Amino acid sequence: MSASTARPQGDGLRVARLLMVLSSVSPLFILWAIRGNSLIPDGYSIAFCALMVVLPNFFLGLRIRAARKLKDKRELTVGHAEDHRDHILVYLFAMLLPFYSEDLGSWRFFASSLAALAFIVFLFWHLNLHYMNLLFAALGFRVFTVHPPSDSNPLTGKATYALITRRVRLSPNERVVAYRLSDTVYLEVSE
Amino acid sequence: MKLNFDIELVTVVEFGVGIEDADGQSFVAIPVDADVQTALREMIADTWEQMQANDEGPARYEPSERHASTEYLYIPLNDELAASIRDLHEAANLPLDADALADPAEVFCYFVRLTDNKGRRLSALRRATQFKGVLRSRLVRFVADSLKLVEDRVFKLDTDFDLLVDSINVHILRPSAFEFAGNLQEAVLEAVPQNIALIRKDLDFVDFTGIEEYAGKHPRAARYLASIRSQKETKNIDRTALRKHCEATGVDVKLRNGKLTVADGHEMGFLEVLDRRRYELELVKNAPERFRAGSRQRIDT
Repeated sequence: MSASTARPQGDGLRVARLLMVLSSVSPLFILWAIRGNSLIPDGYSIAFCALMVVLPNFFLGLRIRAARKLKDKRELTVGHAEDHRDHILVYLFAMLLPFYSEDLGSWRFFASSLAALAFIVFLFWHLNLHYMNLLFAALGFRVFTVHPPSDSNPLTGKATYALITRRVRLSPNERVVAYRLSDTVYLEVSE
Repeated sequence: MKLNFDIELVTVVEFGVGIEDADGQSFVAIPVDADVQTALREMIADTWEQMQANDEGPARYEPSERHASTEYLYIPLNDELAASIRDLHEAANLPLDADALADPAEVFCYFVRLTDNKGRRLSALRRATQFKGVLRSRLVRFVADSLKLVEDRVFKLDTDFDLLVDSINVHILRPSAFEFAGNLQEAVLEAVPQNIALIRKDLDFVDFTGIEEYAGKHPRAARYLASIRSQKETKNIDRTALRKHCEATGVDVKLRNGKLTVADGHEMGFLEVLDRRRYELELVKNAPERFRAGSRQRIDT
């Protein structure tokens, strides 16, 4: 087995990842619903925003439930781990606040905001940033970027993973059993 | 022999396949649902049950032996011959690729890695012969009141694995599969210089130049060398006894510059002598017979 592990890391569960991205931007819809706008009547606007909050989070819950039911879990070995609580702050300031302060008073502004949001959603989806979620933070989870151990084994994976866990720290060579939410995002929950 | 793993208390089941394409071999994990995980665990239990049916316990795997197609053998996980299997067993965070079965022709084996409640790991591997064999068959199923062709691609799990790996040993049920999965032929050929160097330390009165050259081109001779080295069969060999036994069994050796030199064409014979598989019997008076043993086992009584 003179193995090469050069095969690209799969990016499966595309729909699940998209819904997780939508889930991560759902706080923006809460803010928009509270703020309202002069173009769309509140009834429609609030209903749409509520749908954009409930649906993605509902599907995220379904994905977690399905992963647990299917025992879709893996053992991950930690090379070194970085705590990315600060990403939530970046996310807050880079996305939520600018969008919240956008003027939605004309159809052009409204359309440009939606287009910008679509770009952000695509980038989050494409760059596997779907783990950024205020909901996880609110529930006491932390997000770690787990780098693979640098051993001499040619078959050891080279990809990095996002691990959502309640642990405060992860030590090198620690082994963690976690449910797979997507090919790059794992959730550790107590059984 | 015991398994250093608790099959009843499994916490994680990871399935994967070995793929051979233009870039070489690679191993990827594939997500499987709970039912497939159960089936894989049953396969492991069946494999271990078959191994336990052998009352005498397993013999150690020897590359020079001619083993039966199904025979319980073992080899320590830290043995050089198990290097490839050890890499797969110990690899961390195998890459995940749900599309790995897109081209079934490239799949050469499938495997499973289990973790028990104590964090111990057990791996199992099977050659993918039947696994993808179903793809060539036309499967039908009964739908409503008629048979219909199954259009989906269907893969078939076997009833057992070819080998199990715990943290101490590789437990081999099918030796040929171990040799295939472990790229053994390649490994023993690559190990020839190293094996010669180690054997030379014990037999400094033998000129191994010709043997090294021969074994580098002949896999069978390379296997004998690997076996001789792993069995530590060259310790304390007496020069006179070795020369005498070679002469008695028709192996042409000559003394040159104080060293035994094996004549061209007699390299295999000499290796057979060192590997205790070339011998002479004289059950009929004055009619000695020479034999070569394809398989042999030490008698300790």
